[in-house]
Amino acid sequence: MKKSFRIFMLVLMMMLPIYVFGGAPFDTVKMNVGSVLEILGDPKLKGDAGRKVKEQKLEVIADKMFDYIELSKRTLGLNWNKFTQEQRKEFVDLFKTVLKDAYVDKIMTYTNERVNFTKEVSLSETTYEIQSVVVRKSGEVPIFYRAIKKENSWKVYDVIVEGVSLINNYRTQFREILGNNPPETLLETLRKKVGKRQ
Amino acid sequence: MMSLKKIIWIRGLTTIVFLVSCLLLECPLLLYAAPVDTDKADTIVFETQSELVKQSEEETPEKTLDRYEDAKIEEATTVLSSKEEDGIEAYEDVTSDEIGVVEEQGIADPFEFLNRGVYHFNDKVYFWVWKPISQGYKYVVPEGIRGIFSSFYENIKAPVRIINNLLQGKPKFAAIELGKFLINSTLGVGGLRNCAKECFGIEGRNADFGQTLGKYGAGFGFYIVLPFLGPSNPRDGVGWLVDWTLRPTTYISTDQWFDLQSVGLFVHEKVNDTSFHIGEYEILKEAAIDPYIAMRDAYVQYRTKLIER
Repeated sequence: MKKSFRIFMLVLMMMLPIYVFGGAPFDTVKMNVGSVLEILGDPKLKGDAGRKVKEQKLEVIADKMFDYIELSKRTLGLNWNKFTQEQRKEFVDLFKTVLKDAYVDKIMTYTNERVNFTKEVSLSETTYEIQSVVVRKSGEVPIFYRAIKKENSWKVYDVIVEGVSLINNYRTQFREILGNNPPETLLETLRKKVGKRQ
Repeated sequence: MMSLKKIIWIRGLTTIVFLVSCLLLECPLLLYAAPVDTDKADTIVFETQSELVKQSEEETPEKTLDRYEDAKIEEATTVLSSKEEDGIEAYEDVTSDEIGVVEEQGIADPFEFLNRGVYHFNDKVYFWVWKPISQGYKYVVPEGIRGIFSSFYENIKAPVRIINNLLQGKPKFAAIELGKFLINSTLGVGGLRNCAKECFGIEGRNADFGQTLGKYGAGFGFYIVLPFLGPSNPRDGVGWLVDWTLRPTTYISTDQWFDLQSVGLFVHEKVNDTSFHIGEYEILKEAAIDPYIAMRDAYVQYRTKLIER
């Protein structure tokens, strides 16, 4: 009896790792994306009022999910060092607003998409790529998230849609401006862009 | 002498026998060759009453409202002050190792002036022609029918994928694409349904001739924006022309490469496709600081990734 119990426990323990898959970065990103989908699919949030609430809820998750400072650093690359501390702070804030303005609207148009999280790939000791596929009626869109370990939590610093990296895309645009202009010019461009929306 | 009726019967029967035998032979092979990664894949679907919703509801309403107001009223620097507490060093200098930046060279764009002109032309064509037509089309044609058209056009382009997979040294995927084509053309009723995917979970591999050339070592060359067709480069432009000759729709009416019917079908394919993607270009444009550069970079990244894969 005792022996069979022991064997049973052993078998049970051997089965466990099959269900525990994916590490902390995988689970963190999956959970955050899951929360986003929950909010988007919430039938109680309808109309203009519902939209406002949705936007606010999405913002809370975005703040939790992304590391905007890391994202900004990687977008600017070594140009980051040309900015003063004050300019860096302003840049992070402006860039965050630009991203929010552009992508919150886009995400709101998603209604009945499914997201399959497939796997995580280690890029370095502190960075991981978490791969997912969004299944839409018109086809599948691979979306990869890159996350970095910051104070024991995993924060996303890049999103790669169909092979196109968000931070690389902006880096090319910023480099064009910073090539023969001071950081202030870029900040002014961003200020104008953000100002137009408000 | 055999009557016409008999000939048709015999041809029909042999075709059916051929296809059925192909199906029987191919299906198990294909299923074996392309297993769906179900054990690792995990799906999130909407479940309205789950923990996540409760969790976010608990912490959001009042808190977010406050945050929302704050961000509006306060200046950028004050908002950021909350972050300073947990890390002033976050804003310090970076090294290239830290941020994983590889010194990359810019893309050659010797005709930037001209390209920008064509980009603006295409932009106008999108907003004045493609978009309204696609919107009207979307309004008139039900989603189900549009989906059928999509599957049909995808299926009929199988020769492009089969041949390019072969040329890229991927005979397994060429076989899978052939199998997909056979299944979709029979069980999927002439390609009206992507049955290979829906019934058997078979995943193919898209391939085009520009990609093939890239795999053979042809570089990006320089950037060029084609009227109506959009971003390209010499390599992918040639690739597009070669692929055009591999599309069965090119040969439907005359033996000319570009005629009213094949171009007409191509336009319909594009309109049908656009009807699923209205709003996407708008977002790219909206999100960009310089839409021309954003589009160029997205194209470069996208094509490079396809060739690396």
